[in-house]
Amino acid sequence: MVEGLSFELLMAIVVSMSGLVTFGLIMVFTLRSINASVTVGVVGSVLSWLAGLYLFIHYWPAREAIVFQVNWLVATNIQVPFGFYFDSLSLLMLMIVVTISTLIQIYSIGYMAGDPGKSRYYAFLCLFAWSMINLVIAPAMIQLYIFWELVGLSSYLLIGFYFEKYSASEAGKKAFVMTRAGDIGFFIGLVLLFLAAGHLAVDVFSSGEKIAALLPNLKPLFPMKPETLLTISAILIFSGAVGKSAQFPLLTWLPDAMEGPTPVSALLHSATMVAAGVYLVSRIFPFYEASHTAMLVMLCIGTVTMLLSSTMAMVARDIKQVWAYSTVSQLGFMMMGLGAGAYFAGVFHLTTHAFFKALLFLCAGVFIHHFDTNDFFDMSKGGARKMLIPMIAVTIGVCALSGLPPFSGFFSKEAVMGALAAKHWVWLAAGLLGAAMTAYYSFRVIFVMWFPKGGAAGHVHAHGHVGHADAKEAQEDHGAHKGGAVWITEWCMLAVLIVLSAITLVLGFFEGDIEAFIAGAKEAATAAHGVVAEGGHGIGHTTVLVLALSCALAGVILAWFEYGARRATQAGFLSRLKPVERLFANRWYMDHFYRKLLDYVVYGGFTNTFTRNDRVVIDGGIDGFSNLTIGLGRVFSRVQSGLLQRNLYVTFFLLALMGLYFFLV
Amino acid sequence: MNSLYVYLFVALFLFCVGLWGVLHRRSLIAMLISVELMLNAASINFLAFNRFLSPDPAVGQIAVLFIMGTAAAEAAIGLSIILALFRRYQSVEIGKARELKG
Repeated sequence: MVEGLSFELLMAIVVSMSGLVTFGLIMVFTLRSINASVTVGVVGSVLSWLAGLYLFIHYWPAREAIVFQVNWLVATNIQVPFGFYFDSLSLLMLMIVVTISTLIQIYSIGYMAGDPGKSRYYAFLCLFAWSMINLVIAPAMIQLYIFWELVGLSSYLLIGFYFEKYSASEAGKKAFVMTRAGDIGFFIGLVLLFLAAGHLAVDVFSSGEKIAALLPNLKPLFPMKPETLLTISAILIFSGAVGKSAQFPLLTWLPDAMEGPTPVSALLHSATMVAAGVYLVSRIFPFYEASHTAMLVMLCIGTVTMLLSSTMAMVARDIKQVWAYSTVSQLGFMMMGLGAGAYFAGVFHLTTHAFFKALLFLCAGVFIHHFDTNDFFDMSKGGARKMLIPMIAVTIGVCALSGLPPFSGFFSKEAVMGALAAKHWVWLAAGLLGAAMTAYYSFRVIFVMWFPKGGAAGHVHAHGHVGHADAKEAQEDHGAHKGGAVWITEWCMLAVLIVLSAITLVLGFFEGDIEAFIAGAKEAATAAHGVVAEGGHGIGHTTVLVLALSCALAGVILAWFEYGARRATQAGFLSRLKPVERLFANRWYMDHFYRKLLDYVVYGGFTNTFTRNDRVVIDGGIDGFSNLTIGLGRVFSRVQSGLLQRNLYVTFFLLALMGLYFFLV
Repeated sequence: MNSLYVYLFVALFLFCVGLWGVLHRRSLIAMLISVELMLNAASINFLAFNRFLSPDPAVGQIAVLFIMGTAAAEAAIGLSIILALFRRYQSVEIGKARELKG
């Protein structure tokens, strides 16, 4: 606790509030003037980046969490605080969020050039960053939950940014509704925990001892043992992470979310939206560790997600879709790592993934901007390999994604693999299979783009020739070509690519430092760690390393023979297995299943019942009541004949009766 | 028979006449006169009870003075209402004014 307005507190306020302030400024004042909005947005995010950096460096050898908070709501013995909670995990995540959102704002100067909605776009980006930052530094689960929902809202706004396009508004809606489905579970879990524990400070869930101390103090909510209650609420809270991080039953919103502008996809897939789920789990990781069932559920769901989405990526032709599936599978991989008990491995993979996935999406954005198509086969035919910087950048990103040394993904993937090996060989096998598939589908993209086959097809749009492109793309191209502005827009994008490539290249070598940073604060917390993920593994360290590398290389080699080699057909072995290919391309019919579920259960069941209820019970009830009133009125209006003297008769007769009554009684 | 009852019977008779008039006469003016009869019946009752039963002779007379004042005011208001009705219906027949009905 720090009293007064110290410099750290000031920095914390800057980092947490700048997004909201810039959002407000843009929405209220500068919506008309695009340049002003861009300036406000970029300056705001750079400021919050600087403040975040200051905090990060200031607390680098953080041993103990630093908390600033005020009570927002106090009722008898319940307190809901708002404020900041800085420990190594939240600072690391904060750094990722501010760095990537700043880079993406700079990139967007180029990408969104000429778009009439650019001001709105920047406002939403600011809102997005603000929500995510406050989610990350929340000192209590209530605050986390509030910003969790705000993250969902802003991603909805950004995915549906081209709202005049039907598919975009549908995708936004899908993302919102699907994540909400998980959030219901999250909320119920939080309420259960709140009722039992009386408060939801993050601090309490941040160490094994505190959880152990909490257990006997839980109020007996239902006839339920505290352990059972803990497991149930852990699984319910995890369902929120399933929705946000696009895990198995709720994963299909993420591939659709690329309907938004590409930088938004980059932000969504790396640091903000999907990272929130993984962050939530790692935030209250000791809480999960206390329940073996919850950990097992997490491990299973992570595995299923990873394998399913890898198969989907193997047949996609849309470059953004491939990256989207790879995000889902990497998130599944992080969940596997966390589920296997490897806290640091999961967090580290989240960190490296954030940077290389942002890089991949931003590269895709450059290609899409240039070739006006999402299909990487068409890009390749249009001459993508002549764009040297993006090509090198995308290759670096893919190497990191496939876990090849010395790129950052290699280090983090290897850490997760080690944890899986320590758990059971089944998980390791699943992880290795996933790694092979990841290498295959990502190098498929690379080889297709580096080695175009089949000559230049006629229907490819070269730069500037706008064929069937929609209005937005046309405007974009127009804007990009207005005189000398071209090099600025181009270099905004390329510079960001270079920065991200550099981070991807070097980040892996800081594994030790980051581990020390994370572990330093967690030392006390993880003293009772059953599985020591970092260090000694069940199967030998080198064995795992060799296995992981050889699987990745096998995938690369397979991709080379099918897509890269001189006589390769670029068809892929799956094209010979038509039913399987169809299954993968249709996302295992998950969307069909949800459609059917919606049609039969929601529309057919609930909606129908509720409509009938509305029509028969509610409308009928109100109509009946009003009919009754009208009927009664009709009957009693007969009494009013309009004949004054008859009324007087009745009056006197009644008065006489009353008089008689009082006289006699 | 006590002389009080004579007064009371007279008052009852007057009241009944007034009541009959209010209920049966078609003309509004006749109804107003009948109301005055009923008020007078009440006044007679006051005076009779005051004369034979009350120790203080002043109370009943004050009440009667009040009744007379009220009756004068009521007559003024009633007549003006009748006048308004007459302007509307060109008649003082109570049967004409029957718009207030359900």
